[in-house]
Amino acid sequence: MPVSRRGFLRLVGTSEGPAQTAMSGAFLAARGLEAHLAEAQAQGQRARPLLPPGVDEIRISSNENPLGPGKTALDAILGKFPEAGRYPFNSTPADADLVAALAGKYKVKPENIVLGAGSQEILKSAMRAFVSPTRSLVTALPTFENCTGFANKYKLPLTEVKVDSAMRLDVDGMIAAASKGGAGLVFFNNPNNPTATVHGATTVADMVERIRKASPDTVILIDEAYHDYVTDPSYQTAVPLALSIPNVFVARTFSKAYGMAGMRIGYAIGMADTLKPLATLKMPYNVSVFGAAAAIASLGDPQHIDDERARNTDVRAFTVKALQDMGTRPADSQGNFVFVDIGRPAKEFREACAKQGVMVGRDFPPFEKTHCRISIGTMDEMKKATEVFRSVLKATTTTASAGKDGR
Amino acid sequence: MLTRRTFVQTVGVGAAAAYIGARGRENAIWSAFEPTLEAVEPGVICLSSNENPLGPGPQVLDAVKTAFGPTGALPGRYSGSARDLIDAIAKKQGVKPENVVLGCGSTQILRSATHLFTAKDKALVGTIPTYEECAGYAEMMGHPVRPVALDSNFKIDLDKFADAAKGAGLVFYCNPNNPTATYVGARATREFLQKVTRESPDTYVLVDEAYFDYVTDPDHDTHIPIAVDNPHVIVARTFSKAYGMAGLRIGYAIGHVDTIKKMAEWDAGSGTSSLNVLAMRAGIAAIQRDAAEIAAERARNKDVRDFTMKWFADRGMTPTDSQANFMFVNIGRPAKDFREACAKQGVKVARDFPPFEKTHCRISYGTMDEMKKAVTVFGDVLAKKATAA
Repeated sequence: MPVSRRGFLRLVGTSEGPAQTAMSGAFLAARGLEAHLAEAQAQGQRARPLLPPGVDEIRISSNENPLGPGKTALDAILGKFPEAGRYPFNSTPADADLVAALAGKYKVKPENIVLGAGSQEILKSAMRAFVSPTRSLVTALPTFENCTGFANKYKLPLTEVKVDSAMRLDVDGMIAAASKGGAGLVFFNNPNNPTATVHGATTVADMVERIRKASPDTVILIDEAYHDYVTDPSYQTAVPLALSIPNVFVARTFSKAYGMAGMRIGYAIGMADTLKPLATLKMPYNVSVFGAAAAIASLGDPQHIDDERARNTDVRAFTVKALQDMGTRPADSQGNFVFVDIGRPAKEFREACAKQGVMVGRDFPPFEKTHCRISIGTMDEMKKATEVFRSVLKATTTTASAGKDGR
Repeated sequence: MLTRRTFVQTVGVGAAAAYIGARGRENAIWSAFEPTLEAVEPGVICLSSNENPLGPGPQVLDAVKTAFGPTGALPGRYSGSARDLIDAIAKKQGVKPENVVLGCGSTQILRSATHLFTAKDKALVGTIPTYEECAGYAEMMGHPVRPVALDSNFKIDLDKFADAAKGAGLVFYCNPNNPTATYVGARATREFLQKVTRESPDTYVLVDEAYFDYVTDPDHDTHIPIAVDNPHVIVARTFSKAYGMAGLRIGYAIGHVDTIKKMAEWDAGSGTSSLNVLAMRAGIAAIQRDAAEIAAERARNKDVRDFTMKWFADRGMTPTDSQANFMFVNIGRPAKDFREACAKQGVKVARDFPPFEKTHCRISYGTMDEMKKAVTVFGDVLAKKATAA
């Protein structure tokens, strides 16, 4: 049997033979959510009345870095203009050089890294590889919805464990769900989008150990998209766990602190055996010549990321204080966004802010009646945005939240 | 680490094995197992990947710069450009936006189609050799692959192909065919598509027109109008060839609304989440380029093609009838020997294409200047006695 066939059997998680009809469910894909939403938003903008003269849109809806990738990365892209016509395996640097640069950063081998067209491809491949009609997804509620959406769309078994009262992932609940047997994949987003809360290194290590003990075949995906924005000293990356423990891997992205959401570059890191199904499913040359060059340049400029973390921390502190001052209650934020109890439906708030050019996050059930996710823009943007929030929150609300006024 | 060679040895022999062995560096599975593929050294003449040596041209690169935004912040945003690109493609091709789906290169299109339209009991049918993506992906999923030999002129044998299509899930119809560069005329292709639909109504045909813009055969036409009407015909296109944008990763499919909807749903609105914003902006600029510019690129390629084919023909090595930006030529020795000898002199030619790897080599056309240099290397290498094949 060819190796890829064996890989395929592993992928669909069955001993009955390849390509049974059930596999189509396991293989089906989820939409790249943020990108899809951005597109929907762009289409909505065409229909939306223009803002008053002098009012620029402030987009704090998608947890993007408002400053973009920075000069080093942009220069790297400009430097690759002569190679736009070359495939990413022929350019200098090539996509394999990005893998090598990441391997160098983490002091691992290239086979410990799998590139994705954004981490969405990694998540999608993980769903295709590890979740099937007989192997469920264990995830949080609310959390980043890519995996959940995939499971719902293709009717795959799913357990969503609601966050605790502090909006943190319910670790014990997720361990229990993963330990019942039959869990194919645990999606653990740390910090968690949309709540922005984080769990410390000890908690994560303990969780991994307990799940491994109860259900060694369950794969644990720790999505650290917002890693670079964390300031909580108890937090540490789970990459060392992923490199030493089978069936654990970490997803990372260049879309957040690295400021390259538009470039579509993410990666998985873990033991080679754990990643092999993802490597097999990986789209060929999924990272562009420009993306590879920009990412490599960024990896060579760690100061830029430190500066971005410091900038975000300042603006986040300002935003959190402003929100508290106006009587709303933000959860502890360790990302470039805050999840805040505004005491009224997110939809009303969002639409009222949009009329003044401030775009905030979508609904996140089950908290859509009370909470809104607000991404952290630049300080200038957040000064303007918090003024808009203040004016919107002062306005009389509709009956849905009338009882909560005056808090 | 698993290498290509050990993989092929594991697979064993037979037609399917030859098909698998034909996979090259442009294939997913190899990129997964060979993460250390080497980039082309500066100064090397790269004739291995059927790229446009001139790239996308200034308007397209200007569009990339514009996509940075006034402060360089825009690449930090998730892009909403996919719909604009779809609209631009639809306008250019005279179809509705609902007839278009984007891919991260046409590779993603080929994978989506293979995934959706083949199954354990619905084979993938392809010529041998052809571009390997569909067969490679079908094999990875455990779906059968039915290879069909080319005719003596290295062209698609339409009768055999139509026979093999009966009961199949998907026919991969690469025209011009990679790696053989041969082309089946528009009329014969139309008749083939009608025949498959008539004789095997549930079978899909994916017409890969990657090299469409390089064809000079007078009986040349796109099959997009058929694809829009016939739910079982899909046309794949790419910006990686004549448009010179292989590095940006952008391709698309055109087909019947229902078929395109299936493909878009299957792979995440395809391009929307996988395509980078610079590529999408570049694609919009590229599709709006004047037809005369693409015609000029076709003419430039034809000059280089004529020069290179004549060089080989003058030395008794007859290439196939090339209608693309590459040639497939019998050099009377293993491609590997030739490739390695050329590489030592700074000219990179293509990988093996079984079952012709002992005799034939695929050579992409660079610029005229590059080809004049390259043929001196070819002359030098071919002048030496071939080692026993």
